[in-house]
Amino acid sequence: MAQTPENDPVDVLIIGAGASGAAVAWSLTDTRMRILCLEQGDWMSSSKYPSNGKNWEAQQTGAYHINPNVRGRDTDYPINNDASAIDVVNFNGVGGGTILYAAHFPRLHPSDFKVKSLDGVADDWPIDYDTLDPYFAENDRMMGVSGLTGDPMYPPKQPPLPPLPIGLVGETMAKGYDKLGWHWWPSDSAIISQPYEGRDKCINLGPCTSGCAQGGKSSTDITYWPQAIRSGVELRTRCRVREITLKEDGMADGVIYYDSEGQECSQKAEVVIMACNGVGTPRILLNSKSAQFPDGLANSSGLVGKNLMFHPVSIVQGLFEERLDSHKGPMGCCILSKEFYETGADRDFVRGYNMQIVRGSGPLATAMQGHATGTIPWGPGHHEAFRDRFDHVASIANVCEDLPEECNTVTLDPELTDSNGIPAPKITYRVSENSRKMLAHGLARGREAMEAAGAKEIVEVDLLRPAGWHLLGTARMGNDPETSVVNSWGRSHDVKNLFIVDGSIFVTAGGVNPTSTIQALALYIADTMKKNLANLFD
Amino acid sequence: MKNSTDIHLSSAQQQCLSALLDTILPASEDGTMPSAGEMNFLVYLDEQAKDFMPAIVLVLDQLDENFTDAPLPARVARLEDMAKADKRAFNRLLLKIYDCYYQDDRVLMQIGALPGPPFPRGNVVEPGDLSLLDAVVARGHGYRR
Repeated sequence: MAQTPENDPVDVLIIGAGASGAAVAWSLTDTRMRILCLEQGDWMSSSKYPSNGKNWEAQQTGAYHINPNVRGRDTDYPINNDASAIDVVNFNGVGGGTILYAAHFPRLHPSDFKVKSLDGVADDWPIDYDTLDPYFAENDRMMGVSGLTGDPMYPPKQPPLPPLPIGLVGETMAKGYDKLGWHWWPSDSAIISQPYEGRDKCINLGPCTSGCAQGGKSSTDITYWPQAIRSGVELRTRCRVREITLKEDGMADGVIYYDSEGQECSQKAEVVIMACNGVGTPRILLNSKSAQFPDGLANSSGLVGKNLMFHPVSIVQGLFEERLDSHKGPMGCCILSKEFYETGADRDFVRGYNMQIVRGSGPLATAMQGHATGTIPWGPGHHEAFRDRFDHVASIANVCEDLPEECNTVTLDPELTDSNGIPAPKITYRVSENSRKMLAHGLARGREAMEAAGAKEIVEVDLLRPAGWHLLGTARMGNDPETSVVNSWGRSHDVKNLFIVDGSIFVTAGGVNPTSTIQALALYIADTMKKNLANLFD
Repeated sequence: MKNSTDIHLSSAQQQCLSALLDTILPASEDGTMPSAGEMNFLVYLDEQAKDFMPAIVLVLDQLDENFTDAPLPARVARLEDMAKADKRAFNRLLLKIYDCYYQDDRVLMQIGALPGPPFPRGNVVEPGDLSLLDAVVARGHGYRR
């Protein structure tokens, strides 16, 4: 049997180079420890992103598709979504999900950390908004976040850059919200509205969700990683981790991974940090079985892979008489409304949702969506119908808070594997009754908002299936080892040199896009590790 | 129509393809929008969707010789039958035709978009009237702790 090649040991090994892996790597460079990050994907090249080409929309249906099962790059792993109401979408590469995300960058709210105390459901987090506040601000500076200070739905905060233009779409919807007396505010966006830290500003290309050719969108390959690497972090790409290995004393001693040639390799480390998000992290933990941990590593609570939370999304699309230029500008970053974010006594559900205004589609997507919905025919009549719709559309995405349920899981598929033979994740997920009521409420209120804004025709989508961007809760944090996987600063209760810094440690999901909070958590955990270096494993 | 793919279409097949394209996207009545048959569809296939060429040949094989010269309503009816028989295949065909069409600079300018790829030209977006926020601010804070 061939011997597994072994690399020089490192002090800190980070698995995953996405939103949280980049942040924790950069922060830990203060320690001058030897830090290595293993990433299964590649570095991305902005000159290859679809918006460089006239066929940018078609490329979004292939190599840059948000669904890894459709995209099928050799750096992706398959995901079995058959038993899930929502499909997981992600990206594997340096930057992770930030390569294809919309960069809508709201923080969790103070109340999101106290849902048990305030609303009697789920659990409180072991930390609160104020704990993360300085890390939110630090992350905003590192990523380059644009926004407007003064949002009454948040404690005071100061984004480093002025807001992105809200455009005709934002202004039209804002007038509708004002008519109803509802909250709205320009979105905080991880997109730079002015030149910042050597990067040129956003030029409103539109297709943020297939990579930003301009570099105006703050993905971590162009924000944290260059600084972390200059400070000495090694980032090794095309390295797919199979499992975390253990010493006899039950401490992690490194990983087994496959390199770009498919060669099995060993990497020893003093500390292992998981940063693979809410599906990738439980997948590796569950695949790291041993005599000490027969049900998967760090899983004495039995909660690894359980309590999977997405953000169920319903859509209300309005068609307007006037032209809104809706294909121009950052698609997911315009304005939002938090009118129904907090629990309301007059509603039949607890918690709430964020109404995110989404700009319109490009011409190809407009034509194909029009065909699918029967609103734009092929043949005679196409051009007239197309003219009525293209650039005349605004949408509301109701991003609903999902509550944790143990029946919603990530497990290992018994048959499906990736190209290295590692079991693929299997998603089992149902939309809860509470979420269903919230989705329905969002549709009704969205219709009201569209009517107030002057829409002449309204279309509703009650649950968007390809909406599993936000992968949360599958290795939750808490103070009690029986009811949580990691402690209040991301350290495994069971394995004291194993940390998790990604979305899997969320206790509850909030009702906003989570990347800002994921990265603030990663910075907070890194900072706590630095403060406790002398007795990190006590 | 230039025939530059590895699979060469006969003259009759090329005429049938032109008729197919003009049925899917005829020129607009006001003359501002060209028909899909005016695009270099075979060049598009050659450069961007070579794998789709056999599917095109299959489609053409399904259309009888009368299709090319049939009046527009008859051609529409024939394609509707084809769409009903295999919706997924028809949608794939539609995607390619639309993709080719909506990359054309003349078409883009006619629909109010700018020609060429989004990068590096970018787009101008109106800043929007942020004084509309005065009413929101006046209502005060709404978060819980």
